[in-house]
Amino acid sequence: MKNTTHFGFKQVATNDKQSLVRDVFNSVASKYDLMNDVLSFGAHRLWKRYTIASSNVKAGDKVLDIAGGTGDLAIEFREKAGDNGQVILSDINAAMLNEGRKNLTNKGVFGVAFVQLNAQYLPFDNNTFDCVSIAFGLRNVTDKDQALTEMYRILKPGGCLLILEFSTTDSAFLKKIYDFYSFNIMPIIGGIIADDEASYQYLAESIRKHPDQETLKYMVLDAGFDFCEYHNLSGGIVALHKGIKV
Amino acid sequence: MQLFAIFWRKQTVILERTLNRLIINGEVDISALNGKTIGFSLQDLPLDVHFICTNDRVFVLSVTDKLTDVNVKLTPTVFIYLLHGKDLTELLIQDKISIHGDVKTAQLLVDLLKEVDIDLEEMTSKYTGDTIANQLVKLTKKFNLTDIQSNNPLEIIKNWMSTFVNQSN
Repeated sequence: MKNTTHFGFKQVATNDKQSLVRDVFNSVASKYDLMNDVLSFGAHRLWKRYTIASSNVKAGDKVLDIAGGTGDLAIEFREKAGDNGQVILSDINAAMLNEGRKNLTNKGVFGVAFVQLNAQYLPFDNNTFDCVSIAFGLRNVTDKDQALTEMYRILKPGGCLLILEFSTTDSAFLKKIYDFYSFNIMPIIGGIIADDEASYQYLAESIRKHPDQETLKYMVLDAGFDFCEYHNLSGGIVALHKGIKV
Repeated sequence: MQLFAIFWRKQTVILERTLNRLIINGEVDISALNGKTIGFSLQDLPLDVHFICTNDRVFVLSVTDKLTDVNVKLTPTVFIYLLHGKDLTELLIQDKISIHGDVKTAQLLVDLLKEVDIDLEEMTSKYTGDTIANQLVKLTKKFNLTDIQSNNPLEIIKNWMSTFVNQSN
């Protein structure tokens, strides 16, 4: 592993990134859902709905949601997998996981297991899950290649990986608006609502440092997946990558 | 054309969901296709579709860098013929379709696709809202009826677009 890595636009020691990201999410955990709604104008719910629609999870399936945070995806997966299936909501951050636990309890969703874990070291046997998902989490992982290799390992043959993540728009017009919004407006809203401008500055920077659609696609294939396809959402501001293990 | 490709990608999600629903409900059996990958290339249009079959589900992709076990090349019109029950062997004899790979596997998939009865409007509306879904389905039906005899894909798109513009007005 390299000695340094990026944390937003800053270069930091690789060993420090995890704790820096943890600080960000500790700070925003309680306002996470509200901020997502405000900053994306509610679009994150559509992106997640599209992800669920693409998952083809069925009754009896085993699903792992990594960086699952407040549990939006896990709730839907639980409904699809049913009582005979298994859904695990995981996150590296205890504060986010607690928010997820509270959210699911408040919504009357039971039967979801909670595991605090690091995506680079998944504590599961080979060929365990029918579906692994990670929504808006991969860009915060220090060693993405290792995490993808782990995801491949724990998927059953015939299983699929879903990566929902901010990406790169190829529309120059949209890019200008989006850049202005994310660097000038988002941190201010973050300061007002979550009392944390810096974390939302990091959000904007981390999105720009994340691999674009094609690069991520080849990272997924390099991790061992037999097929990978991505679908751009909202003009490429977000992309859903789907990796298939045959 | 790019918009058309984006629209097509979304349709592969709908097709995938429909096929998997049939499998879950036990209405079709795909065990004979387990491990097979089949690609359909619709000539002159950016409308490739690839089927990745496992023992209990099908993945439908619009793009793949990998070679599939079977590759079927055909025009959009012939693809519609196939879905409406036209015999694959007959189309092969008439040179309207070319298959690289195992014809039997292609036939199995075509049989599976014939079972698909998509409620396109209901499924599309989840992503686009009812009004747009209704318009799209109307256009698709129009496309099926008016252009099924045409072998020119550009003519099909032209007709489709002009219908769209007329209906929008």
